[in-house]
Amino acid sequence: MRLYRLGSVSWQDSQLLYHALPRLGREGVILCCPATTYVCIGYFQDVGQEVDVEFCRQQGIPVFRREVGGGATYLDGEQLFFQLIIHRDNPLVPAGKLAFYRKFLQAPIESYRALGIPAEYRPVNDIVANQRKVSGCGAAQIGDYYVLVGNLIVDFNYEMMARVLKVPDEKFRDKVYKTIYENLSTIKREIEPVPPIEELWSLMAEKFVEMLGPMEVQTTVDEEWRAKTDELATQFLTDEWLYQKRRPGAGREVTIRAGVQVKRKMHKAPGGLIRATTEVQDGVFAAVSLSGDFFFYPEEKLAALEAALVGVPETEAEAAIARFYKEHGIESPGVTPADFGRVLA
Amino acid sequence: MKIDRFEFPDDLYYDKEHSWARAEGNTVAQGMSDFGQAIAQEIVYAEAPRVGRKVEQGQTFMSMESGKWVGRVKAIVSGTVQEANEELEWEPTLLNESPYEDGWLVKIEVSDPAELENLMKADSAELEAFIKGEMEKYADVLAG
Repeated sequence: MRLYRLGSVSWQDSQLLYHALPRLGREGVILCCPATTYVCIGYFQDVGQEVDVEFCRQQGIPVFRREVGGGATYLDGEQLFFQLIIHRDNPLVPAGKLAFYRKFLQAPIESYRALGIPAEYRPVNDIVANQRKVSGCGAAQIGDYYVLVGNLIVDFNYEMMARVLKVPDEKFRDKVYKTIYENLSTIKREIEPVPPIEELWSLMAEKFVEMLGPMEVQTTVDEEWRAKTDELATQFLTDEWLYQKRRPGAGREVTIRAGVQVKRKMHKAPGGLIRATTEVQDGVFAAVSLSGDFFFYPEEKLAALEAALVGVPETEAEAAIARFYKEHGIESPGVTPADFGRVLA
Repeated sequence: MKIDRFEFPDDLYYDKEHSWARAEGNTVAQGMSDFGQAIAQEIVYAEAPRVGRKVEQGQTFMSMESGKWVGRVKAIVSGTVQEANEELEWEPTLLNESPYEDGWLVKIEVSDPAELENLMKADSAELEAFIKGEMEKYADVLAG
């Protein structure tokens, strides 16, 4: 196993390099950080549901879907990434997820402790210090390799994290900001002064060596690795990969009691995905919730549309929406009342 | 049959990835065994593979997530995905709650029925020894 001390790399490499190693049949620990900011979503997440894609586009912030689990996060060069790639049959790998996390998160935990930050493992996969999370971690199996990724957080842009997430309204965004600020800490908030970055890299390298044994150190990306990484870029950096909807596939209907159903349906209109959850009582809408990644102007009228549909028979949904569009001058590029009709019919 | 507290229905075949296979004519239904769901713990996402996709025995063809961990599922036989359990995308916990019935993963049109011979039968000593070994390995996980 090698220790790849890469320092600052392009944002694409900060993700693609660890996706490439297991595909080459190579184990290793990668230490790197992205040169520029980006947003990263979990493998199963629906980007339109989680991220304010339009804001990111305006700001020139790329969005990446990783093969690892967990949630959406804002990443930048103030976060020092560790990425462990280890064969599932390696004798160092313990059985079970919890044991795996507990064992291998020990390296970042010990790094924090060496800095005087009382970090500890909290199941399932968190590192906390003084009751606050100090690292974001996730894992995956890629081929026959286990991959564990996480970070030491030197500083964190809480405002941007709250800004890039898709939220129903600004009040909710403010709540998100406060919650993240209260529950996530950084090295900068925990200790003063923050040691030079190079010292932090050395510390992490040392702790991984203590845990995994001596490793040959490599500071550049070799030819084979570069070729595989570039090959993966053609898949992972496409809109097709980013926008693939990991869930759900089809509609679903649950009967609550005779005559009352809760239905969930989705439809991909040219202007975006529409998701509807409705409660239907004897064929008439009792509650309607509409969401997705489509544009709807004026935005605040979407809630009014939901309210206007209450009391409308299912069979008349499309006509009622068409009327609402006319009365309120609704514009929704690439999404027509007929598209809404499909998820409500 | 039961091995310790885990169910292994007699009519199924099992592999060492904790999947089961139920032969139904030219089709094999695949799912995750009771033991498999116990060590995976609560599944929060599962993807349904595309119908028509060709799969090979032992090759990864779908993923699921539990505890921020994306795990991969290997095909238990080679063939073509004929049907995927889309219900799992809405209710992934069916994998935990009903591993042999509602929590089935896919139905594969088998290309080589002889591949079933590579799998373990419920009443075999091989399956029992394998599960007992796994129980030892995952003792901490199973103890909760």
